[in-house]
Amino acid sequence: MKHFLMTTVLSAVLAFPAFAADYTIVAPANPGGGWDQTARSMQTVMQQAGISGNVQVQNVPGAGGTIGLAQFASQGNGNPNTLLVGGYVMVGAILTNHSPVTLRDVEPIARLTGEYEAIVVPASSPIQNMADLVAALKKDPGSVSWGGGSAGGTDHIMAGLIAKAAGVDPKAINYIAFSGGGEALAAILGAQVTAGISGYGEFESQIKSGTLRLLAVSSAERLPGVDAPTLKEAGLDIAVQNWRMVAAAPGLSAEQKAAVSADIEKLVKSPQWAEVLKTKGWQDTYLAGDAFKAQLDKDIAATETVLKDIGLVQ
Amino acid sequence: MSRGVPSSTRPKADKAAFGIAIFLAALAALIFWDASRLTAVANYSRIGPATIPIVIATCLLGLAVWTAIAARAGDFPARERQQIAPAAWVVGGLVLQMLCLKTLGFSIATGLLFAMTAAAFGKRKLYITIPLGIVLCLAIWLLFAGLLQLSLPAGPLEHLLRR
Amino acid sequence: MSTFEFLLQGLLVAMQPMNLVYALIGVTLGTAVGVLPGIGPALTVALLLPVTYRLDPGGSLIMFAGIYYGGMYGGSTTSILLNTPGESSSIVTALEGNKMARAGRGGPALATAAIGSFVAGLIATIGLAFIAPAIVKLALVFGPREYFALMVLAFVTVSSAFGDSTLRGLTSLFLGFALAIIGIDQLTGQTRMSFGVPDLLDGVEVTTLAVAMFAIGETLYIAAQGDQGPEKVEAVRGSVWMTAQDWARSWKPWLRGTVIGFPIGAMPAGGAEIGTFLSYATEKRLTKHPEEFGHGAIEGVAGPEAANNASAAGTLVPLLTLGLPTTATAAIMLAGFQQYGLQPGPLLFATNPQLVWGLIASLLIANFMLLVLNLPLVGLWVKLLTIPRPWLYAGILTFATLGTIGANPSVFELGMLLAFGLMGYLMRVFGYPIAPVVVGLILGPLAEQQLRRALAISQGDPSVLFTSPIAAVLLTIAALALIVPAVLRARGKGQVLSQLAASED
Repeated sequence: MKHFLMTTVLSAVLAFPAFAADYTIVAPANPGGGWDQTARSMQTVMQQAGISGNVQVQNVPGAGGTIGLAQFASQGNGNPNTLLVGGYVMVGAILTNHSPVTLRDVEPIARLTGEYEAIVVPASSPIQNMADLVAALKKDPGSVSWGGGSAGGTDHIMAGLIAKAAGVDPKAINYIAFSGGGEALAAILGAQVTAGISGYGEFESQIKSGTLRLLAVSSAERLPGVDAPTLKEAGLDIAVQNWRMVAAAPGLSAEQKAAVSADIEKLVKSPQWAEVLKTKGWQDTYLAGDAFKAQLDKDIAATETVLKDIGLVQ
Repeated sequence: MSRGVPSSTRPKADKAAFGIAIFLAALAALIFWDASRLTAVANYSRIGPATIPIVIATCLLGLAVWTAIAARAGDFPARERQQIAPAAWVVGGLVLQMLCLKTLGFSIATGLLFAMTAAAFGKRKLYITIPLGIVLCLAIWLLFAGLLQLSLPAGPLEHLLRR
Repeated sequence: MSTFEFLLQGLLVAMQPMNLVYALIGVTLGTAVGVLPGIGPALTVALLLPVTYRLDPGGSLIMFAGIYYGGMYGGSTTSILLNTPGESSSIVTALEGNKMARAGRGGPALATAAIGSFVAGLIATIGLAFIAPAIVKLALVFGPREYFALMVLAFVTVSSAFGDSTLRGLTSLFLGFALAIIGIDQLTGQTRMSFGVPDLLDGVEVTTLAVAMFAIGETLYIAAQGDQGPEKVEAVRGSVWMTAQDWARSWKPWLRGTVIGFPIGAMPAGGAEIGTFLSYATEKRLTKHPEEFGHGAIEGVAGPEAANNASAAGTLVPLLTLGLPTTATAAIMLAGFQQYGLQPGPLLFATNPQLVWGLIASLLIANFMLLVLNLPLVGLWVKLLTIPRPWLYAGILTFATLGTIGANPSVFELGMLLAFGLMGYLMRVFGYPIAPVVVGLILGPLAEQQLRRALAISQGDPSVLFTSPIAAVLLTIAALALIVPAVLRARGKGQVLSQLAASED
């Protein structure tokens, strides 16, 4: 143990003259965020599982990932050694930012992980279940303030979908956008807003300790270990997953695409990846190939509709 | 903003300061124009995305007028004589770095900036300072990109080291 | 076991020789990376976190604590010596600290920053251990309207950094506001002042603006002075250490800075830099040497540096007690904690006491190590100033651009760096203060968003802004801070205050 650090530093020094990049993973976000963590976990696992000797992560932050996407599509064109991490948030960002480059300009390989949205109220709230919330929303949409992440993001889309499914004009929702998960959570805990929407993981420990009441989750089926109905059970026909994916560069040959897909499959099937999912608390929602592309098209179409309904996209 | 008439004496009317007033007014006009095309999204706060920019632009207009009055009265502090040449070396270095960064990589681009900045302060022997800068930046690159996984653009030199 | 026993046990673990070495390595790494302009604590922690994964949980926790405090502290050194703030929370430090360094008092400036950071870190970490639950209750009471009132108070205090002209101070501030408009409007998702340029959608990065305005603007300005420029700085005039008078003038600002910084750091939408602004304004009003402010007053370094470090500990309050990551740094730390099997949240103190107290003990040790590392280095750091100017400024620009490229390797970002650098240069030439631009960029969007959120929640009723007790108190303080000096001046009382208030133009 004593010389552990010295040796690791030394070995890192000795190792790097040889680090030829077999893969460069573009994380279209700042270091530390969800996409960056996904990219860096992929980096570690690909190296540990022997899928690729050397993997680099490149951060291209900005505008919900659309800047990284645009740069990746133009610079990576035809290069089978570059990968892009992305997610559902990108779908909305492409629409609200009028991004000229879309997910159709890259080669989506597979959905890797996903998280479901949770609808919560503070424990002190008189609202006991989804039916109460829907009733309040129907009575006076403005009186129900929703706290969640940035405008046009997954949380905002959820609020729009709930209003629509409940027969309320999605334009009338009183959605209060907060900059980060933490700030939104603080506003919900402090009962500054009526209800909160965010990824289940953001709320998990608060729900378990009883300071927040979980009304529903956005998964299609009940989640194991989570004591709450799905939105479908609550009578709202909505299922949303905030997924993260990996895409390859455009302009690859069929063989190159197959090779990349095979590497990603190896990654997902590796025990090291299972370990990562466990420690990070990520759900495995691996979906590859045409099935993923079909799902992606469905998500894009649905998102476009709801963003138009909310009035964020004309 | 204009580069300004170098003056150590106080002129009655300060032309360069008038330039600042014009700049502020132009900035205000730009914000007004940009705010005018924002659509009001259904919103309960009654303060839309355009409200605050319009307030800021109005204040900038007021400051522009104030600046113009102060300029006419010659109320601005005396300015030192500025030498353009050394500053131009520094700006040139930054522009070169910007242009070379993606193609030649971090070390060469930043090494050039290093040498040009040194030149601005009197070290004009570029045949010494450029190699020195590049070697220094390569060391920095090895440290930050190699050990700390910071993504610094790689060029021919860095690729040479990676192989 | 009781709180004390847990803490004691944690300290015993943290004080094992090997763990002390890890703490020292962590602090060194954190300081080394945090010292780079443009690389703030968030990026520092993100970059160095993987280094800690290779150790056992105890060792990695303590190294991590060292990196965090080292990264928070690192920015002050370059602020003081080179007028190049490493991150937004050390901008205020540059105001007085660099003036001190120019006058050959860089040693005392660095020392008061280091000791102030230590004192604040110590008190705040102990505060974290014992009063976190109370503080966090206060933090949760703060809703959008209370934050808006806090921002109004912060705006009033900004005037203390205006320099000698109200016109030019206000112009700088509003330039900052104008820059703050750029990007996606957070509440509606609409783009403002972006003109279809995708790189502008995320707005102007505070660190980019700060590095450009301070480091590049300063370099250009010094270069353009040519041979007439200031003579080579005398590194040490008088003692390199703090004199008795320095101590006497520092200890109160340290304590006040801690008291201001800790709760603000604990607030979900506070941020370290707001605490430093408030601390600077407080010191400027309370000092017995107002004539020194703007020319190197030691209180103006001691207070904000203490506030900065106290808020670093404050950030951990909502993180540990609620699992609320309130800053980018905290969000990255949350990811780090998960590596240790620590799931921050309301149950953490109950379910994982060993790890929590281990962390708190590690923070105390790291804080101590920071002092051990930095005090002896003061003499060495000051020598930086004796580097011949060509190499010194070439080095500053190299590291300033390295920070920007490292955070976002984009040519556009470098272009902004150059453009704002030129702006900073011209502003210096015309006698405009620099700090209000950066302050405007930080506070402008916060105030706008909180105001709009508050009004949206009340469905457009502006009376909510004044009806909450906390908001009312904050607004009253802000009003008093504006009115009282004016009244006193009108009565012809207090020559001190007339010097404080900016002269009429």
